[in-house]
Amino acid sequence: MLETDILIIGAGPAGSMAAKHAALNGAEVLLIDRKSEIGSPKRCAEGVSKDGLKRLEVTPDPRWIASEINKVRLVSPNGTDVLLDEDKVKLSEVGYVLERKVFDKHLAMDAARAGAQIMVKTLATSMEKDKDGIIVHLEHMGNPMEIKAKIVIGADGPESRVGRWAGLKTGLKPGNMESCAQFEMVGVDMKQPGCLELVFGSVAPGGYAWIFPKGEDIANVGLGVLSTKTDKTAYQHLLEFVDTYPGTQKAQPVELNVGGDPVAGLHKELVTDHVLITGDAAGMVNPLDGGGIISGMTGGRIAGEIAAKAISDGDYSKKNLKEYQKRCQKEIGDSFKKYLKAKEYLLSLSDEELNSIADAFNESDFDRISPTDLLKVLVKVSPKAMLKLGKLF
Amino acid sequence: MIVREWCMYCGECAGVCPLNIIQVRELTLEFDEEKCNNCKICVKACPVNALEEEVV
Repeated sequence: MLETDILIIGAGPAGSMAAKHAALNGAEVLLIDRKSEIGSPKRCAEGVSKDGLKRLEVTPDPRWIASEINKVRLVSPNGTDVLLDEDKVKLSEVGYVLERKVFDKHLAMDAARAGAQIMVKTLATSMEKDKDGIIVHLEHMGNPMEIKAKIVIGADGPESRVGRWAGLKTGLKPGNMESCAQFEMVGVDMKQPGCLELVFGSVAPGGYAWIFPKGEDIANVGLGVLSTKTDKTAYQHLLEFVDTYPGTQKAQPVELNVGGDPVAGLHKELVTDHVLITGDAAGMVNPLDGGGIISGMTGGRIAGEIAAKAISDGDYSKKNLKEYQKRCQKEIGDSFKKYLKAKEYLLSLSDEELNSIADAFNESDFDRISPTDLLKVLVKVSPKAMLKLGKLF
Repeated sequence: MIVREWCMYCGECAGVCPLNIIQVRELTLEFDEEKCNNCKICVKACPVNALEEEVV
């Protein structure tokens, strides 16, 4: 039987970061991915913050940066828009739109250069506990294989099977899984270069629609909905959105992406004996905007470091891995709590309320908008904002 | 479960399956039919309507 110190299941950004940092810290690492090409097909809008990449010490490379973002346009259901740029607000999301197909491979290559072994087209089909490790059953090009690992890191995305095999409660209720559909389109009419557009209201029940520019007339145009709030599929909503939104009337798709986005916040339990979970599989997704690349990579890096330390300690118990849980809570989970509240509030607003909020913003004459100003505007339009958001500011 | 030809193997169904019985491969989707209790959460969650309950 094959053996390794650490087996990482899933070579997305979280898995590759875990592999890189486990290998850098001296562990023997095998990283597997079920697909034949790491990073493809993409399942997201590809936005990251510049700050986030910097914190993770990933140097921006023109090969995987499609465009730079420096402003955000929020669009209400009747088309009223609020433009946020750096003069107006401190934008934490100023960043890049990536080319995930290149980016994800770049991160996997970094992991390999750090010493990790990689197997593609390799699927984990089940796992069981052994007395001093975990035996994982794999399938590679039709051949069943078994591997024994001292530690397994589940970075298997929103499917999140590894955590549940290990007894962690990582399954998601449909009310906590955004169902997303996106076209990469050409011929998109964007009002300003470098501007994200976010469209709210009944165009995307339980979520929002987005336009993430990747070039002058190229953009990821997508949306997320909650299947508990609509009888149509995400794809049907996307077709309707593209048909009616002014900027996409003449646009043509060159790619379709779909997928689930877990928006319940960080899972309560991220470790058990011999097992850690990270990335989407661990709920490392901002519940308000659905972004999870930077938080997943942050979690992946911590997972790699803690797992490698456990290997050198010779102690793979839940107790020894618990440090991972603590650090993830502090560095990722705590900030999600206020975003969850903000999401609940946003989802409670009707199209009319959203329109009035956009109007109120445009009538106010802030030079810069502080969170307190934001709350003042919201309370003026809908008093429930104080109740739902008051404690956050 | 009938998996229609336009399934994109995104795995959302597997994530919401309360019983964790859906295996997503690169170009196939497998259900452990014996354990399935027909809750249809996966059918409703699918972003492209590619799942159809098998009527026996």
